[in-house]
Amino acid sequence: MTAPTHLIDQTLTLCRAARAAGLPVSQARAIDVFRALALIDYAHPDDYRLALRTNLAASRADEILFDRLFATHFGAAVADYGGDHIMAHSELLHGRLDAGRANEAHRDMVTESETFGAEDVARRANLAARWDPDAPPLAQVIRELARQLASRPSRRTQPARHGTRIDLRRSVRRSVRHGLDLVELARIKRKTRKTRIVMLCDVSGSMDAFNSFLLQLMFGLQQALKASRTLVFSTQVSEITQCLRRRSVDETLREVSDKVRHWSGGTDIGAALGELNRGVLREGSSRSTVLIVISDGYDNGQPSHIVQELAMAKRQIRSLVWINPMYGASTFTVRAAGMRAALPYVDHFLPAFNGRALHALVKGLARLG
Amino acid sequence: MTAPLAWQHPFARVEDVAALFDAHDYVADRPLCLTTKLAFDLGKPILLEGEAGVGKTEVAKVLASALDTPLIRLQCYEGLDASAALYEWNYARQILHIRLAEADAARRTELDTAIFGPAFLFERPLLKAIRHTGPRPAVLLIDEIDRADEEFEAFLLEILSDYQITVPELGTFSAVQRPCVILTSNRTRELNDALKRRCLYLWIDYPHPDKEREIIMKRVPGMPRDLADGVTRVMQGLRAVDFYKRPGVAEALDWARALLGLEIGQIVPDVVLETAGVVLKYRDDITRLSKLDLDALLQGRAVDL
Repeated sequence: MTAPTHLIDQTLTLCRAARAAGLPVSQARAIDVFRALALIDYAHPDDYRLALRTNLAASRADEILFDRLFATHFGAAVADYGGDHIMAHSELLHGRLDAGRANEAHRDMVTESETFGAEDVARRANLAARWDPDAPPLAQVIRELARQLASRPSRRTQPARHGTRIDLRRSVRRSVRHGLDLVELARIKRKTRKTRIVMLCDVSGSMDAFNSFLLQLMFGLQQALKASRTLVFSTQVSEITQCLRRRSVDETLREVSDKVRHWSGGTDIGAALGELNRGVLREGSSRSTVLIVISDGYDNGQPSHIVQELAMAKRQIRSLVWINPMYGASTFTVRAAGMRAALPYVDHFLPAFNGRALHALVKGLARLG
Repeated sequence: MTAPLAWQHPFARVEDVAALFDAHDYVADRPLCLTTKLAFDLGKPILLEGEAGVGKTEVAKVLASALDTPLIRLQCYEGLDASAALYEWNYARQILHIRLAEADAARRTELDTAIFGPAFLFERPLLKAIRHTGPRPAVLLIDEIDRADEEFEAFLLEILSDYQITVPELGTFSAVQRPCVILTSNRTRELNDALKRRCLYLWIDYPHPDKEREIIMKRVPGMPRDLADGVTRVMQGLRAVDFYKRPGVAEALDWARALLGLEIGQIVPDVVLETAGVVLKYRDDITRLSKLDLDALLQGRAVDL
C-alpha cells in the first residue's frame, strides 16, 4: 500500500517541523515513519498521529512537544485520550511560578524583570559577561574534590593479580595453556567507581556576585566527573548537565543562557529540593549520592518547607555538602533563615567564595561523602 | 508437519491488538495497541516509560500469554554484566570433566573442544531469546533498563540491531525468530540516545478515571461497581496531591483487593486512613494524607494543602 502524494508531503513537512523543534529525527527514523505509514489505517485521525509520534519521540517531553506541533499543524485540538489531564495537572502543580517574586532579601539585588512567558527572551541572562576568563583556575580544587569522591566499590569486577575472588572463567581458559591443569588461578577484584554527584546551584539574584565562581565550579566538576548531574534553581529548577558537557566554554554559556530563563530570579530552596526528591534522587543507586548545594541560603519560602524536604533528601543520599559563598565574602553570622534551618542536615559546610578558599577547606577534610 | 519459518503475526489491524489485550484482561488504549502492532510489523523493540506501577511489565506478560509463547525476562540491576545476561560456562562441570579426563590419556586430546561445547553452556536470558526456535517468537522483557549501568545499554545495542550473539568458542548464533522485545524504564535516568533510536517509544501515563475503573473491574473479580467507583475517585484525587510517591494502578488494584477482602462496602475517611499503607509507602506521605480533607477526597473534589 503506497501512501497518497499529499500525505507524503504532509508527513515530510511534519518530520521537518519536528526536527526544527528539537526532536531527534534522524534519517533512519524518518524512513521508519514511512514504513509505518504503509501499515496503518491513516484515515484514522489518531493512528496517523500516533504512528508518527511513536517513531519520532524519544521521551515524554518529546511526546508532548510532538502533540502540540501536530495540533498546530492541523489547527485543531489534539484528541484527549486517557491520562493526559493528569500530566497537565501535575505540571501545573510542580511549576510554582509565582513563588519567590516578592522576595524581601533579594529586592535590591534583582535587577532584571521577574515576569515570565512572553518576556522570557528579554530575560536571557548574558552569562558570557559573567564568565571571568582571568579567574584563577579551579582545576586544583576540582581535582581534590574528584579524588575524595572517587572511592566507591562498583558491582562490576576487573582482573587483578591479588584480587579477592577467583575468576573461574579466566582460570579455565588459562588452564588450556597447561594441558588443562589448573596451575594458576586468575583473580578479580571489584572496580572502584566515582561517587555520583548531584549538584544543585542557586542562581537567584542574590548569587549574582559569585556567578563567575559558580560557573567555573559547575563546568569544572561536570567535566571531571562525567556521571555527575548539575541542576540550577531560582524559582524553577533546570537541569543543565547536557549543556555543561560541551567542550567549549562559550558554547556551554550560550546553551545555558538559552535554557535557563530564570537566572537571577527569586529563590525557593524548598521547592527545588522537593523537585530533586521526586526526580533525580529517586534513582536506583541514589543512596551513594553526594548532594552538593551551592547557595547563600537566602530564601523566600517557608523554612519549615526546607526542613521537610531536606529530611527527605537526607534519607536518599549519603551526604550533603553545602557550599555557601556568602560566608567567606563578609563577616556576618547565620542570618539567612533558610540557611539556619538547613544547617542541622548539612554534613560538610564549606563557606567559600572563591577557588582558593574552597581548596583550603576541601583539603582539610579527610573524606567527602 | 514442520512449522513455517516466517511467522506471520496475527495483527492485521490495530483493532486486533486491542481485542487480544482485551481478551487477556488488560485495558489497553489506542497508542499502546498501535505501537504494539508497529513493533511487530517493523521488527523494532518497544521502549515503555512511565511512573512505577502503571502496568509496563504487564504488557509483556500479557503479550506472551496471548501469543502463547515463553516470556523471557531480564531484570536489570546495577552491575549486570554479560555473564548474567548472555551466557556463562558451567565451571564446576568443566573442572570435573578435566579431572576425569586426566586419568584417561586418550580423552585428553579432545578435551579442549569438549569442555567448551554446548553441554557446558548456561544460557542466560538474551541468548535464550535469540536461540528460541519458535514456532512463535519469544517475548523478551528487559525490565527496568534504567537500573543497569550505561555500559550495559551500549552492549544491548548490538543485540537489538542484529539479533545475534557471538560466543567465541562456539560461533555466532542468529535469531531464528526475532524475539518481540519490550524494554521498560522508570525514567530515573535518561537512556542513551542510540538505544532510544532503535526503539519505538511510548509513555504510559496514569489512567483516565473511566479507564482506571475498567481496569479495577477487570482485574479484581467480584468487585462491586460502586466500590470500584469509590476507589477510582480516591486514587485520582490522591494523584493530584504532591506526594513523594504517587500511587500507581498497581496500588489501586491492591487497595481494591484489600477493601474487598476486608468486606468493606463503603469507603469512609477512617477506612482510607486505616488502609493507607496499601496505597502510600512513605511515612511523610501518610502523615500528609491524614492532614487532607478526606471527605472532599471521597466526593471527588480537589484536595491539597
